[in-house]
Amino acid sequence: MTASPAGAAPAPARRERLNPLTLLAAAAATAVITTAAGSWALSLAVVAACLGLSAAGGTAGRVLPAAAAVLIPFGLSLLVLHGLFFPEGRTVLAEWGPARVTAEGLDFAGQRIVQLAAVVLALLLFSFSVSIPDLVAALSARGVQGRFAFVLASTLTLLPAIADRARRIRQAQEARGLVVSRSLLARIGAFRLQAVPLVLSLIEDAGTRAAALEARGLSNPGPRTSYREVADSRLQRTVRTVLMLAALAAVVLRVVAPGA
Amino acid sequence: MSSPSLTLPSQERPAARRRRLLEILGALAIAATYVYLVLNQPADITGGPGSASALIALTGFLAGAILLIVAVLPTLPASTLVLIPVALVLNIVLGQFVGSTLVPFYLDAIGTVMIAVLAGPAAGAATGALSSVVWSFFNPTVLPFAAGAALIGCLAGLAARYGLFRRFYLAPVAGFVTGIIAGVVSAPVAAFVFGGTSGVATGAIVSAFRAMGDTLLAAITKQALISDPMDKAIVFTIVAVLVYALPRRARQQFPFLRRHRVLAGNSQPIGTRADAPVKDKAHGTASGSASDSTLNG
Amino acid sequence: MPECTAAAGRAVPVNRPVLAAGIRDFTFHDGHAPVLHDVAVTVAPGSFTAILGASGSGKSTLGCLLAGWLPPGGHGTLAGFLQLSGTRLEFDGGAGDPRIDPAQWGRQVGFVPQDPAAVLSTVRSTVAEELAFGLENAGMERGSMKAAVERTARLLGLGSQLDQDPARLSGGQLRRLAIGCAVIPGPPVLVMDEPFASLDAAGANELAALVRDLIKRGTAVVILSQTVSPLLLEAGTWFVLKDGRLTASGPPAAMGPGSGLLPPAIRRLDGLEAATTPVLRASSRQPGELPAGPALELRGVSFGYPKAPVSRRRRRRQEPVPDRREMVLQDVHLAVYPGEIVAVTGPNGAGKSTLLRHFNGLLRPSAGTVLVHGADIGGVPVGKTAASVGLLFQQPRDQLFERTVLREVMFGLDRLVGADVAVARAGAALKAVGLADAAPEHPAELPASAQRLLALATVLARRPAVLALDEPTVALDGDGLALLDAAVRSAAEAGAAVVLVTHELGYARAAAHRILALDGGRLLPAHRPPGY
Repeated sequence: MTASPAGAAPAPARRERLNPLTLLAAAAATAVITTAAGSWALSLAVVAACLGLSAAGGTAGRVLPAAAAVLIPFGLSLLVLHGLFFPEGRTVLAEWGPARVTAEGLDFAGQRIVQLAAVVLALLLFSFSVSIPDLVAALSARGVQGRFAFVLASTLTLLPAIADRARRIRQAQEARGLVVSRSLLARIGAFRLQAVPLVLSLIEDAGTRAAALEARGLSNPGPRTSYREVADSRLQRTVRTVLMLAALAAVVLRVVAPGA
Repeated sequence: MSSPSLTLPSQERPAARRRRLLEILGALAIAATYVYLVLNQPADITGGPGSASALIALTGFLAGAILLIVAVLPTLPASTLVLIPVALVLNIVLGQFVGSTLVPFYLDAIGTVMIAVLAGPAAGAATGALSSVVWSFFNPTVLPFAAGAALIGCLAGLAARYGLFRRFYLAPVAGFVTGIIAGVVSAPVAAFVFGGTSGVATGAIVSAFRAMGDTLLAAITKQALISDPMDKAIVFTIVAVLVYALPRRARQQFPFLRRHRVLAGNSQPIGTRADAPVKDKAHGTASGSASDSTLNG
Repeated sequence: MPECTAAAGRAVPVNRPVLAAGIRDFTFHDGHAPVLHDVAVTVAPGSFTAILGASGSGKSTLGCLLAGWLPPGGHGTLAGFLQLSGTRLEFDGGAGDPRIDPAQWGRQVGFVPQDPAAVLSTVRSTVAEELAFGLENAGMERGSMKAAVERTARLLGLGSQLDQDPARLSGGQLRRLAIGCAVIPGPPVLVMDEPFASLDAAGANELAALVRDLIKRGTAVVILSQTVSPLLLEAGTWFVLKDGRLTASGPPAAMGPGSGLLPPAIRRLDGLEAATTPVLRASSRQPGELPAGPALELRGVSFGYPKAPVSRRRRRRQEPVPDRREMVLQDVHLAVYPGEIVAVTGPNGAGKSTLLRHFNGLLRPSAGTVLVHGADIGGVPVGKTAASVGLLFQQPRDQLFERTVLREVMFGLDRLVGADVAVARAGAALKAVGLADAAPEHPAELPASAQRLLALATVLARRPAVLALDEPTVALDGDGLALLDAAVRSAAEAGAAVVLVTHELGYARAAAHRILALDGGRLLPAHRPPGY
């Protein structure tokens, strides 16, 4: 497993063979180190690298909208907040009544936004590139993580399924003559009518699923095996350890020497 | 075929002391981080994003949340475990939806509070923390709020355990109080890690306080005190409506409900109209129908 | 094998039961009355057993108890014993009762509940991994696991679906996957709850073949059912449950229609339907003279689902997504007159439900028009059209949301006809479906059959001009079917145009004035399709 000539393989095939935990470690370490360093240059470099990687990996179409959905409201909020109201600021660029645009405020907002963008992009790049079944398989082999993997994978499976069921319930109720008018009260009433059967059926299903999974050994205390083979190697394990240590070191350095 | 025993040992294994220790450590990590941040706050708010405070807030709160997950998750029965993903979906879908509107609320804790009411404070805390961790898959900015979410789940579970869901009007009160505590605890995360709030509506409120000259932490805490208590009061009310609408059979899955008599009455709510034949309701009729009529209104 | 037992000389008589239960009573916590009472069941190794009972007779509870899905003490208290593979556990409802280990129990008894989708782990992305889930948890090493998955898939006929997403299987395939998950550890007993419900003829034939295979391999099979399907005639023993009590047991031959041992609520689909059964009789009814205009008319309706909305997870998987947009309905013409009952038949997946959803605008045709009382419903909100078109869905619990049966039927009715009339109509509708006594109960606590009837009552109470029923017979027991038949007929006599969609050709023949078949997206006068 370790002997494969990694250099010869084309890029996509190589990514297939990366262990999902290695990807996770890389994304997490990037996020932590960027936060700890707090430098414009590093943050911008990480943003650029993430954009490049997602374009190369063909995930840009999904990473970018997801990142935009998070970053745009956040960025606007920060710009308004610190751009207009930054009592600590000295260099006043413009002033309208209580609002003062200060250079310090803009700088502060800019730093936060770029840094946040770096962290968000790194983590989203991970979640949109990783193969969830592989991640679940890699996690399931180990104790608590098995249950965490269950929660993660089950949530991702249930998201579309529950949305689908909510739509079915709405259709069934419309077929019974439920007309939702625009008034707030009517909408709240309709929300109750749709939420009750949805939650009820979800809880009932969960009861059946719990019994089924118990019977299939979900709570077995003993060791588990995995049907799906997930590539791993000593090199990757070493890389993971190094990344974790680097992240830890970055945090410790920053906290011990806050004057940087 | 020599099959292994078909039964479990007659008594539950005594709850592992290590787990209890992890729970306490997790709670301590969160509390200590908060105290440290509040004591040391104003000095480095302008000190730049990589400030020690941001890192301490992140590490302390995240470590606390993870310790809680590690302590609680393995002890949960399967019936609670399979319900957690359902709760997370409710949190995420409603949270994303409401977060995208211009309402200064979040409504991203309905699933967490529901689990807390059905399965207790420990399950609630774990669900809250897991919700942030899983949601960060789509939106990494919610990750630092894991500790606050765990606190909400834990407080909701305690409220249920001590009977605050037995009277319908007490649920929003409990939610209000939970919101105050959770808001105060989460504010340093918003202030130190992000330097602001994630939504435009909440950002506007913070701006207003900043305009009056507050420090960033004070402004965000005040904003949280405006949004969070109302938000949690609404969430607790919705959960009360949902849980009271559950039929007996569905409630049976949750021993916590039975053991602590979380809900009023033992029987299903029945119609309050006088002509409805009252069927064999031995217990809890008085308080049951009282809260039922409140529910009707 | 035989010499093995002989050599060992073990005193295991051949007929010693592999699974047995002696239940004095079983009561749910918070429940008022025992669900099961004096029920004794034994299952011999390798045998085929049927437990028959109407909806609400307690057979699902019995099945869950036998399979360890309802561990006594957890949801309810059991007085009596359970015996499995030579271990006998006595329960008296006290604190000293043994506690069943569901995982070990599950290795000895497989269970398939009514809804097969509910057993899926939701954390495995292919059929093969789903099958392997239980083996992974038991720590089986990968080589044996792969062999077991291959073997089971071959048995199930799912060999070519191994790499598919379990969420995208058809109803019949899903049922077989659920069976596979239950039998892959090789349990000596398999219990199935209503395995034939909602399967069409082809699906039922495949399932019957699978059951025969399992029995041939030495698995004892127990089927819980409210209908006597042809396969059950091959069973060695029938147990009959009524109101939580065992009323009869013995070989099927002893329980013929004349014996009176089977309650009429248990439908016979084996050709031995008693002449006295009021439900299915050949009908040559003709509607009275037809008024001039049709109540419902479809003119040249075509429809294809837009490319399926693919979830984030699925898109990432390797399997190719079928890209062509298939037309589910093609140039469908249909006119239904007041007082007329039309049945639409076709196999599962033929687009019958899609057709129904056009009647009130839940789906809008990509070409053609739908007219109700001569008026085009294009652009009219569904909630408005619903006043004249009552649509009953397959899943009753999607349609029910109130806290009591009465409130459920009353919902929105007072706004439609005024409070006084609403009370009278709701009462009449409940009476028509035999639920007058259940008015204060919680809809979700009714048995499946009663839930469907309640959903029917909510539609009937509005007296719609067009009544459209999606698979109305599924989950109904014999009594329920008789009520449905009467209710549909009286609605038609009162002037409603009725369209019912069903895969049960027998019911369609008995109930409808004319039968249409949906085939390849086209609606044609029915000729008898092969396989019925």
